[in-house]
Amino acid sequence: MSKKKVLVAMSGGVDSSVALSLLLDKGYECIGVTMKLWENKDPISNVVRNSNCNTVEAINGAKLVCDRLGVHHYTLDFIDIFKKNVVDNFSEEYLTGRTPNPCVRCNSFVKWDTLIQQADLFGIDYISTGHYAQVKHEKDMSYLLKGADTLKDQSYMLWQINPDALQRTLLPLGEITKAETREYAKSRGLETAQTPESMDLCFVNGDDYSKFLYEIMPEKMNNVTPGDIIDEAGEVLGKHTGFTNYTIGQRRGIGLAFEEPRYVKKINPMDNSIVIARKDALYTDHCYASQLNWFIEPPNEEIKTFAKIRYNSKGSNVTLYKEDENYKINFSEPQLAVTPGQSIVFYDDKKLIGGGIIEVKK
Amino acid sequence: MKKIYFDIAATTPVNPKVATLVSNIMTQTFGNPSSIHKFGQESHSVIVRARLQLANALNCEPGEIIFTGGGSESNNLVLQGILQSGDHIITSAYEHPAILNVVEALELQGIQSTLINPNKNGVVNCNDIISAIQPNTKLISIMAVNNELGTINPLLKISEISIENNILFHTDAVQMFGKLPLDLSKIHIDFLSISAHKVYGPKGVGALYIRHGNKLPAILHGGGQENDIRPGTENIPGIAGFGLAAQLATEKMAVNIEHILELEKQFLFALTKNNIEFTLHCKSHIPGFMNISFHNVQSKLLLMNLDMLGIAISAGSACASGTLKASKVLLQLGVSEKLASESVRISLGKSHSKHDVDYAIEKITELIPRLQKTSDINV
Repeated sequence: MSKKKVLVAMSGGVDSSVALSLLLDKGYECIGVTMKLWENKDPISNVVRNSNCNTVEAINGAKLVCDRLGVHHYTLDFIDIFKKNVVDNFSEEYLTGRTPNPCVRCNSFVKWDTLIQQADLFGIDYISTGHYAQVKHEKDMSYLLKGADTLKDQSYMLWQINPDALQRTLLPLGEITKAETREYAKSRGLETAQTPESMDLCFVNGDDYSKFLYEIMPEKMNNVTPGDIIDEAGEVLGKHTGFTNYTIGQRRGIGLAFEEPRYVKKINPMDNSIVIARKDALYTDHCYASQLNWFIEPPNEEIKTFAKIRYNSKGSNVTLYKEDENYKINFSEPQLAVTPGQSIVFYDDKKLIGGGIIEVKK
Repeated sequence: MKKIYFDIAATTPVNPKVATLVSNIMTQTFGNPSSIHKFGQESHSVIVRARLQLANALNCEPGEIIFTGGGSESNNLVLQGILQSGDHIITSAYEHPAILNVVEALELQGIQSTLINPNKNGVVNCNDIISAIQPNTKLISIMAVNNELGTINPLLKISEISIENNILFHTDAVQMFGKLPLDLSKIHIDFLSISAHKVYGPKGVGALYIRHGNKLPAILHGGGQENDIRPGTENIPGIAGFGLAAQLATEKMAVNIEHILELEKQFLFALTKNNIEFTLHCKSHIPGFMNISFHNVQSKLLLMNLDMLGIAISAGSACASGTLKASKVLLQLGVSEKLASESVRISLGKSHSKHDVDYAIEKITELIPRLQKTSDINV
């Protein structure tokens, strides 16, 4: 029987390079692809600037590793798909006072969906990336487990993947640690062994998402004007520079001095205000979730489980139950700065059972 | 995995005899050809010999050949050397970027241009050239063979037009040289660009033919090598390799053409026999050079799928980043956007065998029906 084929998404970093090499070790036939997702162009001169995404160095790194391992490599242009599914959503979410999570959308709608499509075009069985999460295949359903490297576990970012696509996914780094990945890359002499950790917001130049919003939609951002900073009672305390410049839980950069620090509690695009409060006022015992994606039978009864409301949060035990189309989540310990637009991801021990987008109202 | 290289128009594998010569000269004949001592004399002789080989291949005088860094450089030397602000150039809209982008850059310096669209057969009409002539037309630059279609332009007629109107005539003959006979004693061409790597020679070396009596002002300045037009210490191994490659291509031309035409016939016949729906664009082309649209199969998709089976072809024109767009050249011919996005270039060469063609046909026949099914998915 001929070898099973895998389409490996190669960012040009150490993780995807090692993923490819491990798959080859296991006897798969692999093809490497680098997805061109974004070109960071200066809006005035149209000159391409440096960004963390798809640099020439990164693409060349992927090509060198593929060449060393004797694997075909192609660069595929997904700029339009990325723009439509990630960048447009990113901009719209900020305009409505929410804080988006572009990496989650990129994984599900750009990487997984289009890679599966490409795999079909090439007659390829599986797709693979260098994410630190384990994928388990059972008869009817595949699901994700947290990565063996607890510090590096990236399962949170993968909750929105279509369960059908997951059935054709291999994640060879799920069982090893980042240190082992680096060690492996070094021992095999892979050109990408020393590449730095990848950054969030790969499409934004530097870390300045605010500047990015002005560049990508100047007309709409002209309507984002300075407004009032108020307290919970509605009293005006000062001026903000435009509500898109703030996120829930933000402390620095508010520009007002108090004995006890103040945090952004709420963003109100409708009356162009932001509400600030003391830290204890930012705790909440419940939230809602929309756009749910399940790797178990969608629960109709109340269930007790565990949830993370951001990539780095410790998480909390929760009770969740269905309310109309969405779910209500009660936290057993109140959570700080639950932010609409971010992801809430549910775990049964190490098993990722589902996730959704955080809403503060039903 | 079997590997078949059907992309002879992009570049050719180096002939082993040429490679041996290049390697020997690189290690043994290292003197600077400008030096007076014996080391220099040996290197100098290598260039003289290669120049003779090229002069024989083109049927011109050795003094009419200068060696350059390749076809693109030869084109630049002519266009930038000849054209001054206020001059007009007539060229075609489907030239290689090494002409089109030079013209675009020169326009910023006050040079005017007329780009002639090829007709539906992929050939430039002479009448279009005649009607484009202006009092300030200094140069006509029309490629001998188009690099996407393999179509052949009427060089003899164009040369007559240039003589009658007292206009200089340059041709980019990179795709023609070594594949079709080219006798410069019978056709009045002022400047002609050729390249070694298209004729089983090394990369990074080309030549420019400058007809006796033509003065080409230099755009590069240096130590006076190559008639002061292409200064810099000469690429001795490359030049020697080009000389031998040119000689071999010319000596074996008739046999090669016959062999390649056989393969092309076999290829097209088998496609038809296997009921594969395709359009062969521009039926009149140089031997083995086929621009084909496989119906309802995106060109990029076919290219990558064949590549994974070890068969190399090209789609549109290859560009540096490895990304592809629908062929502009086919659109100029009036081919529909759909068909243009389905076109691939398959170019066969002298070293291919009937078995290679059989193998490729077998794989294409397997692939096409599967790829047609997925044609609604955008790639």
